[in-house]
Amino acid sequence: MTMPLTPVWFIALPLLLAFASPLWVRLRLLMPLLVGTPAALLALALGLLPAVRTAPLLETIVIAPPLGIHLQLDSASWLLVALINFAGVVVGAFLWLGETEPYLRERRAFILILLLIAGCNGMVLTGDLFNLYVFLEIAGVSAYALSALRRDAPALEAGLKYLIIGSVAAIFFLFAVVLIYLQTGNLSLAAVARGFSEIPGPMQMLIGLLMLIGLGIKTELFPFNFWVPDIYQGSHPAVASLYSGILVKAFLFVLFHLVFLFLADPGVAGAWLMGLGAITMLVAETVALRQEDLRRMLAYSSLGQIGLITLALGFGVESTTAGGLFHMVNHTLVKLLLFLTAAILLRSFVSARIADFAGAGRARPLAGALFVLGALAVMGLPPLSGFASKLWILKGFAEAGVFWPVALILLAALIEAGYYFRWIKVLYEPRTEVAIEPSEGRWAYLPIGVVAGLIVLLGVAPFLVDDLFIEGARSLLDRTATLVAVLGAGS
Amino acid sequence: MSLILKLFFFAVSLSPTALLMGWDGHLTWTLLDGVGLSLTLTPLAAFFLLLLALAAPLVALPMLRRPADWPSLALYAALLAGMQLLLLAGDFVSFFIGWEIMTWSSYLLLLRSPRTEMATSQSYILFNLASAFLLLAGIMVFYGLTGSFDIRPLVGPTQPQQLALALLFGLAFLIKVGTLPLHIWVPRSYDEAPDIFSAFLSAAISKMGVYGMILLLTLFPEALTGLYGRLLNGPAAGYLLAWVGVITAIVATYKAISQEDMKRLLAYSSIAQVGYITTAVGVGSSLALGGALYLALVHTLVKLLLFISVAGIVLQTGQRRFNDLGRLIERMPISFFGVLIGIIGLAGMPPLPGFAAKYLVFVSLVDARWLLLLAAMILSSTAAFIYCYKLIYAPFLGHANSAGAREAKEAPWPYLVPQVILMALLFGLGVFPGFAIEVLIDPVLTALRMAPLGGSSWAVLTTAYGGYDGVVLMSVFVTAFVLVTGLFLLLRGRMRRAGSPYDLSYAGEVPTEETPLHYGAGMGRELRRIPLVGWILRHSSQGFYLGLTRQMRAAAGLLGGFYAGNPQTWILLAVVVFAVVLGLQAVTGGI
Amino acid sequence: MLSFLDEPRVLHGIYVLGSLTLFFIGLYGLLAKRHLLKILISIAVMELAVYLLFIGLATSPGETAPILSDGLQGFVGMADPVPQALTLTAIVIGLAVLGLGISLAVQYHRLTGKADVAGLTELKDV
Repeated sequence: MTMPLTPVWFIALPLLLAFASPLWVRLRLLMPLLVGTPAALLALALGLLPAVRTAPLLETIVIAPPLGIHLQLDSASWLLVALINFAGVVVGAFLWLGETEPYLRERRAFILILLLIAGCNGMVLTGDLFNLYVFLEIAGVSAYALSALRRDAPALEAGLKYLIIGSVAAIFFLFAVVLIYLQTGNLSLAAVARGFSEIPGPMQMLIGLLMLIGLGIKTELFPFNFWVPDIYQGSHPAVASLYSGILVKAFLFVLFHLVFLFLADPGVAGAWLMGLGAITMLVAETVALRQEDLRRMLAYSSLGQIGLITLALGFGVESTTAGGLFHMVNHTLVKLLLFLTAAILLRSFVSARIADFAGAGRARPLAGALFVLGALAVMGLPPLSGFASKLWILKGFAEAGVFWPVALILLAALIEAGYYFRWIKVLYEPRTEVAIEPSEGRWAYLPIGVVAGLIVLLGVAPFLVDDLFIEGARSLLDRTATLVAVLGAGS
Repeated sequence: MSLILKLFFFAVSLSPTALLMGWDGHLTWTLLDGVGLSLTLTPLAAFFLLLLALAAPLVALPMLRRPADWPSLALYAALLAGMQLLLLAGDFVSFFIGWEIMTWSSYLLLLRSPRTEMATSQSYILFNLASAFLLLAGIMVFYGLTGSFDIRPLVGPTQPQQLALALLFGLAFLIKVGTLPLHIWVPRSYDEAPDIFSAFLSAAISKMGVYGMILLLTLFPEALTGLYGRLLNGPAAGYLLAWVGVITAIVATYKAISQEDMKRLLAYSSIAQVGYITTAVGVGSSLALGGALYLALVHTLVKLLLFISVAGIVLQTGQRRFNDLGRLIERMPISFFGVLIGIIGLAGMPPLPGFAAKYLVFVSLVDARWLLLLAAMILSSTAAFIYCYKLIYAPFLGHANSAGAREAKEAPWPYLVPQVILMALLFGLGVFPGFAIEVLIDPVLTALRMAPLGGSSWAVLTTAYGGYDGVVLMSVFVTAFVLVTGLFLLLRGRMRRAGSPYDLSYAGEVPTEETPLHYGAGMGRELRRIPLVGWILRHSSQGFYLGLTRQMRAAAGLLGGFYAGNPQTWILLAVVVFAVVLGLQAVTGGI
Repeated sequence: MLSFLDEPRVLHGIYVLGSLTLFFIGLYGLLAKRHLLKILISIAVMELAVYLLFIGLATSPGETAPILSDGLQGFVGMADPVPQALTLTAIVIGLAVLGLGISLAVQYHRLTGKADVAGLTELKDV
């Protein structure tokens, strides 16, 4: 029996392993598999890379002629798939090595994390709208359940809030899908894209708005992102790092994939999204100034960065798009670093309030240094990777002669510095009475250290990977190439 | 192990020197698509690299004392790397990378001090990042105009483009040097930084702003001669800059006089000195630029010397306020000479090179016929004598007013070695004022395509308005010094009796040895009674920035209200947005 | 007499009106009711409205169910099977979400004694 290494494994493998989980509990393989699955998928992604770079991989699993699962792995979705599985490896390794709370190390968490990865992979890879909805819900449900996993009042509250707002988003999205099907009679993204311009204008508008609200809630754009800080605060930081690191990124990718695919001229929609991104960025960074809770602060900072990415992707020019994709990757790395470091700090310092962190950096030098590194990278200070991607984005705007985003991005970065440096200062407050307890779980630093190394490496030598992002941006922006690839040259 | 690490660190601190000696060539490093770093060493950068090469090992030496603070050493190495990158930059990307590395590593170094307060660290990083981001915005505008990040003169920029660039870059560099309304971060951070690091902040890091300003001038085709026409005999655009510099100098000088704390006084004096440099850059003639570079050189030497001496005093006595010090001349004689030489250099008095530098700037003002500026500058540099006097008098003479001051010993050798080296350098430059001109400054001026200042020999400083011979001057002063000191030592026994503190009496009371008595006390208080000076001392731009902070926090609270609702509010808002947009579309788009 | 109802336009119009009404009833419940279970039910009602709209508009009068059986061997005169298959899937997903939501609400009530959405105030800005 041959097992062709096709993109379907990105979805099938985590699903299969998740559902066979009773077996793994008995065999004591839960934690190794939690790391091993995304690691295997990451290896698969790397193995597929040469093929993807020459031509996008298309795969159709036919169930019945109209109904089939269509997967598409092109340069852009490859980036996301690799990123999602890398983040899975890091978080899995952190949970395994870091001696985290038991509820994150048992079967339920194992299933949910693998489902989340499968859902995100599916969203990014899928080639038709309904499967998109299905994967969106798979990722959503596992995320709601992950939030509530701790089963105390804050965790349940976070899970409930997430579930309510997430379901509403899904309904809006489903509504849009239904309207699209009724108008075009198609669900395949490429076929819909071909027929989209024939939909009457007002209906296009309505579909667009429904999509915007559905995906806007999921991608955490202002004014649909008011739920975010609550959820990030109530969830375990390692789980929050998955939300900020992969879930939002997958949704962002979906949003822009749809915009660039459906609209022959994405100018207007792009301008809207740029506006939303800019507002998201400024509002979130400003609100973060007053945050006294570490997890909420990171949540707002995450919103700000998402606004920046939206701003860059919405412009729809190759260099800003490539920079935006690069920034997506960097932001995932940075937020993994920051949230996992926060998890370590929270374990030693009970409360997440800023006042209780005074001197934490002196008591836990390694965690403190990693936090500082992450903060510098998220503000885009050289020589860390955040700088390279921000420079790329700014350069793209400057080349096009559009300077208002440049000014806003820099202003937002300054505001961001206002609160990150406040935390850094508190972290290094000279206070002698900080109890230095023997820290357990030194191995937890291993995955964080790997991420930190990548941040530095990508900051010093971004030329190692910049081709990938340029190709990714091209395949994201080049609508006709996708249509030709899927539907054949005649269409 | 620790010794090897320390030796390694010291070697790192010598890297600017090595770079200065050994660099000949061009290095490139691709960053990403279409962005590469290219490193070269221009004569202008080489001059500032020389300042760095002077400061780096001299500051590193005291930092190596036991117990070594390893994070500080690592950060210092990062800081040096960043500054060297900044100086080697042949393009704006590497310039910016160096600038930012310098910013964050110096910030983290600032945090190593136990005295740093939140307001200080926040103002330090926010002002410096604002400067960095203005710089980046300027770089983006520059890139938009030229399509390349290389640092090279603009070809035919239009007036608005020039203005945008000049504003963005200019503000960035003025924040870094700390001119007047933008100086608020300087005194606090110089004061609260680790004592040795203050020397580096003042001596080396602020010079990077000066480097930037001069670099900015080279971007515009005729910035030095007549951007926006000419005023009297100088460039009109520079007139504004010159006034900014002079006002900075005057205000900072009076602030310095009224300080009660040694490091804060030095901080304000740094601001004042950099103000002179700014003025000179504003004048922009070859004389003035020569003066600016000369001032930068002298200021680096002098501030290193003073801050290191003061750090030694603080280390040995634990006191930093003037009123708690006194009578250290017998206990710390070498530090005394360090401060003495330092203040003579700082005040710009002959025979030390501070005089030569100031002389060049004065002459350039005369040459530009900007006499009002000249008068203002002379006013401030005369007032500077007062704080210089305070700096030598209060810690070293009079009564010892604290236990720390009474029992202090001379500073340890890692503090003394840099002091002695710096004293020797200042002395040497005093004897040969033309040396700095011919060897260090003229190559820069030639590279900027300006007339070199040159003189007949290293001993002579010559300008079109006269000059002087350093050897003659120094001999006169040294002779006088030897004579006076000799006389003093001869008559010492009798003078000491005459000068007994018991001879003083106030209102009939006879102070004992324990009575605290300080001649410098309350100097700032009395200064406030002088009309204009009092106004300057009472006002500060701090209120503006505090107000800005308050407004930002208020905005944060207001916007944060959005995030405080419950799920129903969130959904309601989403639905309302949906309905409003649909409605607007129906009205305008005609659904 | 009611044969005009068999006109696809009229029938679809009724479907649209009906499901939109249902949708807005759900939206009202979602925004106005405060009990957690009622909110979850409202969400279910809104989902249902979307399913009904989908099924209703994808079917025209006279079409039979898309099931191949003894008498019917071709896809002639049948309703489009895709919406029905999709709706079935969506119902399953909706059920899962609803189940999870209710279990969370029940646990929350057991833990805190609260079932009011306005009482979810543990997580907020400080």
